[in-house]
Amino acid sequence: MYHRSLGLGFGAGVALAALLVACADPRPRTPAAAETGAASAGGGLTIRDDFGDTLTVRASPRRIVSLNPATTELFFALGAGDRLVGRTHFDLYPPAAQTVEDLGSAIPPNVESVLGVRPDLVMLYASSSNRDAATRLHGAGVPTLTLRIDHIADFRRAVAILGRVIGDTARATVVADSVSRTLERVRVAMQGKPRITAFWKAWDSPVIAIGGGSFLSELVDIAGGKNVYGDDPRPAFDVTIEDVVRRNPDVVFAGPESGERMRSAPAWRALRAVREGRILIVDTMLVGRPGVRLGEAAVSLARLLHPGSLP
Amino acid sequence: MTGRPRQAALYLALAGAMLLAALAGLAVGPVRLTPVEVWNALGGRGEITAVAIMRDIRAPRVVLAALVGAALAMSGAALQGTMRNPLAEPYLLGVSGGAAVGAVLAVAGGAPFGLVPAGAFVGAVAAVMLVLAIARAGGRRPDPRVLLMAGVVVGAFANAVIMIALASAPADSVRNALWWMMGSVAGATWTQIGWFAAYGLVSASALLLFAPEIDVLALGDDAAAGLGVNVDRAGRRAYVIASLLAAATVAAAGLVGFVGLVVPHLVRTRAGNRHRAVIAAAGLAGATLVILADLVARTLRAPSELPLGAVTALGGVPFFLFQLRRFR
Repeated sequence: MYHRSLGLGFGAGVALAALLVACADPRPRTPAAAETGAASAGGGLTIRDDFGDTLTVRASPRRIVSLNPATTELFFALGAGDRLVGRTHFDLYPPAAQTVEDLGSAIPPNVESVLGVRPDLVMLYASSSNRDAATRLHGAGVPTLTLRIDHIADFRRAVAILGRVIGDTARATVVADSVSRTLERVRVAMQGKPRITAFWKAWDSPVIAIGGGSFLSELVDIAGGKNVYGDDPRPAFDVTIEDVVRRNPDVVFAGPESGERMRSAPAWRALRAVREGRILIVDTMLVGRPGVRLGEAAVSLARLLHPGSLP
Repeated sequence: MTGRPRQAALYLALAGAMLLAALAGLAVGPVRLTPVEVWNALGGRGEITAVAIMRDIRAPRVVLAALVGAALAMSGAALQGTMRNPLAEPYLLGVSGGAAVGAVLAVAGGAPFGLVPAGAFVGAVAAVMLVLAIARAGGRRPDPRVLLMAGVVVGAFANAVIMIALASAPADSVRNALWWMMGSVAGATWTQIGWFAAYGLVSASALLLFAPEIDVLALGDDAAAGLGVNVDRAGRRAYVIASLLAAATVAAAGLVGFVGLVVPHLVRTRAGNRHRAVIAAAGLAGATLVILADLVARTLRAPSELPLGAVTALGGVPFFLFQLRRFR
């Protein structure tokens, strides 16, 4: 139980923190895809990251600090989990990740703690709050690769980059293809189904909705739904209860505790989906981040939206 | 026009303004409802969604905004009189700092979000008592100036605690606490309103009851003592009641700045020097201001909200400056 409640809270928390920071960032997103790919003289790899910084990563780094749950998952999926020497407090999946040293928060990170584990590569989320930390790490001679992973396409991009970084592009292709195949399988299976409109409640106080800028909105689409806030390009933002009522979604997605609070709050009775008991409880640890389990996440959402339609 | 007729006209005008503000607050929202639908839904008739919007979303917000605004303004009016200082207000006297410390420590300590208001209230009461204890440590009689200084010092101490707690708490807790401090009546429920109304009614009645004492205190300690008022006890009583009233508003709606400071000045020019009239008029004006501020907060940046405390200051300060020019 300790585990479960902790995981849910932190999972939602860090996803939220990332989303909020992302939406506070006025920069246009999806910048120059990282990766110019030219091999440099020393056998390393030259990469341009999502901050536009150009860095040279030594061939196959051995001491990696990954300060983003999505990339931490990915390193394990690529068989490079044993190269991690640091993670954030919130990187709890896969379970093996929990044995990696906890370096605390990630947006922004504690630069001194990061330097303390002597990394030869640091992975950061490309939030404006991390700009200063990235500059300092570069200044200390540590290659620092910032990636903005918000959309499913960002995940594919990240897999390709990390494959090259660890020197196993074949495995990266396998991982990316496996995720893509599952997503495609769900998309095809849901194609003929009626679109179910959904409101995704990411937070209670204030009420935060997932918008079109988040991979969660894409997952809802793939799973045979339609996000009522999908027209807003931000990943997440606060909304009034009455605005949700105006958009009148068929269902609500919420984490277990958040869903429970919704059932017991009088104001939410104004929402038809709540009155009619259509709050769909999601596994926040599974769907909370755009990682290697995106396919699984899409399957779980499709099963919630269209029960019995996926084997 | 002087005396009672003039005051009656003032109350009538303020009550009318509050009623208009409340009607606007009930009528306006993301879901468009006609006046007839609004009326029917308030009475529990018509489509179920409209009824729930009126009864469980808009009406609780308007009522809580009115109560919080009235409480803050009455608290400020009483404190300014008691301290003989136009800058006195509940937030300056440690209430906001103590409440924020309570809220932040509650979330940092891992308390569920539902306990944050309780944490805020405990923090505010603790700060009020601490300020009083500091002010009394200097001598038997708490000098208003010492009380103000103690409030500022406790506020500075609270700021330090908040910054340390925020710097070491996880991001989601920080977000919760910061949101709390910006003020909002978005979460208003009838249960909460019931508690707050009962508490507020008792405190506000007490303030009105002791208002004549505040009139005497406003003349200065020596004059008041000469008139047979126990200055120490009367000053302490007004301070404690007014501060506890403000503390409850923090538990109900977070920090809604500016109301306690400026609304009393807005009405004082018209309500005269009697504190019973000033406190009552400030209550009506404060309610109106916060109802309107909430209306702006939830419509200006739809579908999102603006922080209520920021709106009260943005709207109130220009109005206050305008009044200053007129009445100097």
